[in-house]
Amino acid sequence: MLEVLVYALAGVVLGTVTGLIPGLHVNNLTPILIALAAAASTGMVALIVAMSITNVFTSYIPATFLAAPEEGTELSVLPAHRLLLEGRGYQAIRFSAIGCLSGVMVAAALSLPFTAIIAPAYELIRPQMHWLLIAIAAIMILLERSLEKIIWAVVVFLLSGFLGLLSLGTNLMPADAALLPLLSGLFGASVLLPSIAHCSTIPEQHLDEEPVDIRACIRPICAGTAAGAFTGIVPSIGPSQGTVLAQLITRSRGTEEFLISVSSVNISKAIFSFIAIFAIGRARSGAAVAVGKIMDASSVNPPLIIGVALFAGGIAAILQLSLGRLAAKHMDRFPYRWLCLAVLAFMVIFTLYCSGLAGIIVLATATALGILPAAANIKRTHAMGVLMFPCILFFAGIRESVLTALGL
Amino acid sequence: MSEKATIKLSLICSLVGLVTIYAAAMLARPKVTPIASLNNGFVGLRVLVSGQVIDYREHEEGHLFLKLKDSSGGVISVPIFSRTRTQMEESIELLDVVEVNGEVTVYQGELEVIPGGAKDIKVIHVAPVALSSITEENVGMPVKVQGVISKREIVGGGNILLTLQEDGGQLQIFIPSWIAENGLPEMHVGDTIRADGWIQLYNGKIELKLTSASHLHLVEDG
Repeated sequence: MLEVLVYALAGVVLGTVTGLIPGLHVNNLTPILIALAAAASTGMVALIVAMSITNVFTSYIPATFLAAPEEGTELSVLPAHRLLLEGRGYQAIRFSAIGCLSGVMVAAALSLPFTAIIAPAYELIRPQMHWLLIAIAAIMILLERSLEKIIWAVVVFLLSGFLGLLSLGTNLMPADAALLPLLSGLFGASVLLPSIAHCSTIPEQHLDEEPVDIRACIRPICAGTAAGAFTGIVPSIGPSQGTVLAQLITRSRGTEEFLISVSSVNISKAIFSFIAIFAIGRARSGAAVAVGKIMDASSVNPPLIIGVALFAGGIAAILQLSLGRLAAKHMDRFPYRWLCLAVLAFMVIFTLYCSGLAGIIVLATATALGILPAAANIKRTHAMGVLMFPCILFFAGIRESVLTALGL
Repeated sequence: MSEKATIKLSLICSLVGLVTIYAAAMLARPKVTPIASLNNGFVGLRVLVSGQVIDYREHEEGHLFLKLKDSSGGVISVPIFSRTRTQMEESIELLDVVEVNGEVTVYQGELEVIPGGAKDIKVIHVAPVALSSITEENVGMPVKVQGVISKREIVGGGNILLTLQEDGGQLQIFIPSWIAENGLPEMHVGDTIRADGWIQLYNGKIELKLTSASHLHLVEDG
């Protein structure tokens, strides 16, 4: 018991580090942890789960203050950045902390019934997955309402989709390495560049705690957690598609509800990707793959995962709020333009290190594409075509045929 | 910079980037090695081969052994072990085009290409041919057909003879007794099946001979 708690605390520390450094992901550390783990080490499983959960909480700090997203936080960058420019960066952190913490609790409560229905549900959904994704993409596009905006939305969806297909489905670079330049470009650098160009400054950040109507949060939290559970079992679907799904179900529109919803999806996906090892024998995240390598599916203990997730989630929420408050307090002391330039330089260097020269070309293209939605006055969500389009082709069973037809 | 100029510049950058990435992906694609050029000098190396499945055999432990033939005329064995096979999303049938990225090894003096995992195998399914298009010219060649069972009879010592119909065409499928007794799916008149095998002449009549129970698939229950 004590050993598990010590490992979980170590996971919280590592998760905080990976969450705070833009571009550094849990997946960068898991190979080292697998190498260090003794066979079927429960402690190491606790460490990986705690690290993965804490990483979700703390990654909202760079996503909010530096517009530097990780997989899952990409959609929260823009609304969080908007709040930051209104002097409410800390509120963005609070909303994501509420979403994450509630998501952990709801996911823990749902885990038992979920484990019972997950396998038949997965079998039922899987053959229709491409239609479901096409429907989500179509609704997202049609919600733009005016014809000109719809055309731009289709252009952005298809261009980012093609970019995703070329980067993730070919031998250009490993798919894991391609995610970094794709997401950093579409949702990070494209937000930073206008800030640099317009010499944006960060206004003084308000640290007063704005009242939050908990009743209004119930819907986005529940929908977010359910969508996160869904994305946790289905391959190639990220929290962003889950958020779109949750948004459609709840019809929530406000920035606060959006941030709470996306955070619930993100944390719920992290938890259920571990549960999926036990329930369907398949790992759905890099961290879950690591757990699967340390222990076989039959030895994975769902109550241990839930217990560690709750333990780490509680500490991570306090850490997120404290570090977020600290960042908000001292943010205006730094020249924001230079800070953005430093983050951009870091993105370029980290991409070069992880994905090579091809990664830089992908980063530049994704950045140019990421600027389009704001310039055309449409939602940035359409750029999620980068993951959705390859997924649609994969589930329709035509990805390889399309790549072959393209001569790839 | 005006909004229109930003849109134009972003679009141009995106399109130029996409074209560059496409070109880079083309260059990064491993070149397909003609099967006929494979020799012992390749042992231990990873190659990409692509060819049509001209024969396949299923092992009782779930392994699948393919024979691939490409336009160079060479034939290579590709063993797909049960662990890899369970990870595969798609099944493989006779005449399907299969691309395999794997290591060249020697087994009992014969060259093989062993894929490391399911991701190293790409399958492009080939549609069944029309029954009416099968003539004596096809004798000795493998074909894949699909149709509705119009007649099912037991001939000789437990062999099964199915008569398949589709769009006015008709073909008999001969299933030797040893296959009929070893894992053949249950099927009745009215069921739609897909079968692959070799065309042969028997008493002057064209028929398709099944060589394994796994070469017959029940498509639709009649």
